[in-house]
Amino acid sequence: MGLDTPKSMLGSRNEEPGGELRLGDIPLSQTVELVRIDLPSEGAEPLLERGVLPGCQICPVRSSPTGDPIVSVDGSLLALRRETADCLCVRLLSDAS
Amino acid sequence: MPTLTADPCVSCAQHRAKSLVRLGISTDKWDYLIALAGNPNVGKSTVFNELTGLRQHTGNWPGKTVVRAEGAFVHEGKRAKVVDLPGTYSLLAGSADEEIARDFVLFGRPDVTVVVVDASRLERNLNLVLQILEITDRVVVFLNLVDEARRHGIAVDPVKLERELGVPVVQGIAREGVGIDDLLSAAHEVALRTDAVTAVRAEQYTAEVEAALDHLVPEIHNAFPDTPNARWVALRLLNADEAVEGAVHSGELGQLAHDESGALVEITAAEVRHRVLKKATSLRWGLPSNFQDVVTRRAYQVAEQISQRVQVRGLKKVGIAFDQKMDEWLTSRIFGFPLMLLILAVVFWITIEGANVPSSMLATLLIDNGHSALKGLAIGMGVPWWLDGLLLDGVYLATAWVVAVMLPPMAIFFPLFTLLEDFGYLPRVAFNLDSLFRKAGAHGKQALTMCMGFGCNAAGVVATRVIDSPRERLVAIITNNFSLCNGRWPTQILIATIFIGALAPSQLGGLVSAGAVVGIALLGIMMMFLSSWILSQTVLRGEATSFSLELPPYRPPRVWQTLYTSIIDRTLIVLWRAVIFAVPAGALIWLISNISLNDLSLAHHAVSWLDPVGLLLGMNGVILVAYVVAIPANEIVIPTVLMLTVLTGGFAMGEGSGVMFELDSVGATGDLLRAGGWTLLTGVNLMLFSLLHNPCSTTIYTIYKETRSTKWTAVATLMPLAVGLTVCFLVAQIWRLVAG
Repeated sequence: MGLDTPKSMLGSRNEEPGGELRLGDIPLSQTVELVRIDLPSEGAEPLLERGVLPGCQICPVRSSPTGDPIVSVDGSLLALRRETADCLCVRLLSDAS
Repeated sequence: MPTLTADPCVSCAQHRAKSLVRLGISTDKWDYLIALAGNPNVGKSTVFNELTGLRQHTGNWPGKTVVRAEGAFVHEGKRAKVVDLPGTYSLLAGSADEEIARDFVLFGRPDVTVVVVDASRLERNLNLVLQILEITDRVVVFLNLVDEARRHGIAVDPVKLERELGVPVVQGIAREGVGIDDLLSAAHEVALRTDAVTAVRAEQYTAEVEAALDHLVPEIHNAFPDTPNARWVALRLLNADEAVEGAVHSGELGQLAHDESGALVEITAAEVRHRVLKKATSLRWGLPSNFQDVVTRRAYQVAEQISQRVQVRGLKKVGIAFDQKMDEWLTSRIFGFPLMLLILAVVFWITIEGANVPSSMLATLLIDNGHSALKGLAIGMGVPWWLDGLLLDGVYLATAWVVAVMLPPMAIFFPLFTLLEDFGYLPRVAFNLDSLFRKAGAHGKQALTMCMGFGCNAAGVVATRVIDSPRERLVAIITNNFSLCNGRWPTQILIATIFIGALAPSQLGGLVSAGAVVGIALLGIMMMFLSSWILSQTVLRGEATSFSLELPPYRPPRVWQTLYTSIIDRTLIVLWRAVIFAVPAGALIWLISNISLNDLSLAHHAVSWLDPVGLLLGMNGVILVAYVVAIPANEIVIPTVLMLTVLTGGFAMGEGSGVMFELDSVGATGDLLRAGGWTLLTGVNLMLFSLLHNPCSTTIYTIYKETRSTKWTAVATLMPLAVGLTVCFLVAQIWRLVAG
């Protein structure tokens, strides 16, 4: 899938740059809202297809034997890699207005 | 096309159940064509089996069906052909299996496409439905797994959904056969419908995109008048979809539309084709660069809106806690790996303990009694000695051995393994192992193809199609042989029982043997990591690509169906394959044992010629000859070893008295082997070599078909063999050093 821009950012990009939260920083069983996926589209598409969309609620449920997160999103469980989780910008639900 | 005579009372519901005549795989002629599409792991194969009466192997993990399966049935006098497509999240064709699905929906021109959707994940599933609706109106949506959705506290209103989508929606539970009748009637109606319906089209495009489409669609119509979905093709071209661009460039697009009819069409002139591409490129420049993202987001928004309107969420959840509890243990940081080993060990232990009694009963029946009875009969009939020897001592004995040695462990092991698969444990194994694969530079899904290889390496090699990166797919293909396959489990179990289990006190023997087999399987997994890592560092250099894996919900295994499918599909098919190869192998073994050169049989020559090499490797000449004979199928290694030991050992074959075997138990087999000079080292090295040697000829052929490369086929064939020879040599030398 060719894209004109190599780095496509899905979702709005207007958060403050410093204090961005990443899914990888979220403690287990805390539900957060996905703001943006910082991945090129080849990396982002499989996530989008599995229901990881900006605006969705996502919750780290558990870590694997080697520390990769399992997240719950749209009623199903998804195993991510840690690097992938660090590319997902999220915000706490209480901040969302 | 021929139409069967229709029964007059076609409308009554009771008739319908009877009017479904399943035709299995006789798909030569049909009145209409049904394509089954859907996201991975939503039960397409189950629906397929319900419709066709076939028993396509189903498993609870995404990406199980990688090739399209075909079947047929007759409903109300019409023959329908059903094509089960690989599961896809979208039609954007990122991997080989997605491309198969997309090309079929696009160009296979099915009369009706049944989209199976998971009611508990409607939003995500609707995305695919909307994409398919862009291509065709002839769609029936089967809302499957409504029971599972209910457990998650979700209810979907099929009537509302039908109104939203504009195409028929049928709800049901395919695993229990619920809703299949309604699905049949709906599909039947849509397939034979002549008038058009107006399905919902997610009009997700901005004015700029629509304007570009208005320019491009006529060009495509002009270049490829028979293409059914010019608008869709235009959109893909605006998205710079390489596959579609390629199809336009080569003129294949015009051909594909006629693939099923086999008619030859004139290829569109090259300049016309290039004009389409040039036009698309120039139009693309006029569009905003994030146009693809906008389209994608809009599509998901539409899916979300629809699903919110038709579903009721937040009902009381039932049984969810169970899933969570299970996962807390099975993928836990601390218990994940130990539980994995424990589960494997228990499966082997049950197999080893359970197979003992039936194995010895079969051996008594087929070999002790059956063979001598047949021998007596042959002598009574005055059959010449060579014919009697070839057929009874060669063919019959080899076959009887295969059955006696392999049937009982397989009949226990496969159902147990299939139950685990059906339950949903395999993706958890993949998940647990992913980070190790990533460190080895391989794809996480290689863990799934590895599990598939535990069944059959050829199947494992085909399963690598779920991996979209060519480099990682090649790594998975080359290293798949390190998964201990069907044909090798019985060897492992038997040898472990004889040589390793026997070291322990008898009540612990089974456990110790099971532990040894688990050890060999683990060694295989470690070799897979190691060789993947070496390949990624050298000839197939590269980084692992990103990976996310869906963990399917645990589904209660359907015990009876699992027993049935695993006995029919796996046990009997594997056994049959082994028997087919055992027949010529038995004849060959008898011939080389009885054709003499300089007073010694050919087998003697081969065995004694290979004996020094075999001893250097901690094995013997018999084993090496057996591995040459067994290239077509690993299953016959043990029978060949036994026959060669008997025939060349000269201790069990009394002259003129026929052949005498007392292999009525595993213990007796062990005595025979020990009498043939086997030691604990021979047993251990046979187990190692059984794990680490060239793939069987079927797998080699499959690797060639998948890679289309002699070079990589040779690497995949010779690399494990070289590893095996090296490991066995080192073990033998060290063993002898230590043991003195």
